[in-house]
Amino acid sequence: MQLPRKLRNTRWNSASDFYDSNRSPLPLMSNREFFLHRYEEMGWEFRDIRLKQSIRVHTSNAREKHVIQRLESRGVALERIPFLENGYWVQQSRFSVGATVEYLLGFYSIQEAAAQIPATLFNEPRNGVILDACAAPGMKTVQLADLMNNTGIIVALDARRRRLRALSNQLERCRVRNTIVYWKDARKASQLDLKFGCILLDVPCSGNFLLEENWFEKRSLRDIERNVRLQRQILTEASISLKDDGEIIYSTCSLEPEENEFNIDWAVKNLNLKVENIDCYGREAPTEVFGKQLDESIRDCVRIWPEQTQGFFICKLKKRLCIL
Amino acid sequence: MQAQEAAVHSMKSIDDFVSRFNSDLKLCASLIVERGGRHYLLEEKMKELLRSEFYYAGTYLGKVRRKRFFPSFAFLAMIGKGRSNKITVSRRTEWLFVCGRDIFKQGILKVEGSGKRGDYTLVLNQDDECLGFGKIVDDLFEGKHERKLAVENISDIGDFLRRER
Repeated sequence: MQLPRKLRNTRWNSASDFYDSNRSPLPLMSNREFFLHRYEEMGWEFRDIRLKQSIRVHTSNAREKHVIQRLESRGVALERIPFLENGYWVQQSRFSVGATVEYLLGFYSIQEAAAQIPATLFNEPRNGVILDACAAPGMKTVQLADLMNNTGIIVALDARRRRLRALSNQLERCRVRNTIVYWKDARKASQLDLKFGCILLDVPCSGNFLLEENWFEKRSLRDIERNVRLQRQILTEASISLKDDGEIIYSTCSLEPEENEFNIDWAVKNLNLKVENIDCYGREAPTEVFGKQLDESIRDCVRIWPEQTQGFFICKLKKRLCIL
Repeated sequence: MQAQEAAVHSMKSIDDFVSRFNSDLKLCASLIVERGGRHYLLEEKMKELLRSEFYYAGTYLGKVRRKRFFPSFAFLAMIGKGRSNKITVSRRTEWLFVCGRDIFKQGILKVEGSGKRGDYTLVLNQDDECLGFGKIVDDLFEGKHERKLAVENISDIGDFLRRER
């Protein structure tokens, strides 16, 4: 992509450098060019990607081998996802995999491959009390319940009541037994007066161009900044509700560094949290973005550029304990 | 305390429903909570943590609307684990039932329990998985291979798809 000469050598330091209060983004670029240039600056070149549908087998409801055999006998071609435990790409199917008896019985869910990663990163989710702070539509809640084999307790929150219906349908279909759902904003999680050993923060974000048609046209930096504010409030609240030895998994499906690396850098500097190393599919997150130097520990976060999966960002945070 | 009272009221409608399957399932009333007509079965540990403003909790059992109990599929599966009225249907009938259709005698492979007209019966596939339930409209032990309506579909798992519309 060739940028207008005027912008080719521009050095942007932060989101606010891109626009003044009246204009966003700069009129010389289309939204698409603008965002793709940002990704290029971060080391990723755009290519057209067709997202493959993927499923995750619920091993607490059925034996994985049995589910795969049944789907294959119906003519569904599946390929195991190498970096996931119970995930499969749907290579071919003559019908929707969301309308089989096995799906309706809760033997598997349709869940994008990268989105299957965050819930697997907790050290010891079983038997504990887990907070899923932005739970709807519930794919990760169901996955957590499955990983916990329905032991322990999941407290699932969502701010939008309409989305809670989708969440409870998922819980019912997948026969989840260990979840309590509240209609509550994650920014008020501490009102529950509970301390959690594990907190999943799959926060509301700007999404990415693979998930939404005309994504580039619909998004501006102002939307991103609005999300950043919300995400930081949620992070703050989660740090209050976290046990001293607890862990937070923070994830977004956004490619924008403001919602990812910048937010974690901010959390490390302001919330007494530290980044923990995680071992999963994806690349090391950059510690210098748009000329801004971030905390060195940010390299332990994982950034997934759209290749085999959609775009994603994942990181694990723990409390920094003061030794007296 | 409030939750306990609600559980006592809930038990009657749930027990009445279960009895129509000639089932011996007994639930512990103290572990049932109700909110907005919806009933949930909790484990002891969850009950301690539950706050009154919950939206969903534990295992969803079903809802009571106009004194009628509408069971969840998890609850039907619980009934199916013990003694109860059950029919096992063929692969073709399985799919037709999930699509909301009634069941004809020729699609039934096996009958367990009463099979008497007017009773409820669970509908299972050949893997013993509960697909829903229906009302027996013609004695299931008579004229087994007839092209005659046998079980009227009341609720099936295809409901998950219909709800999303």
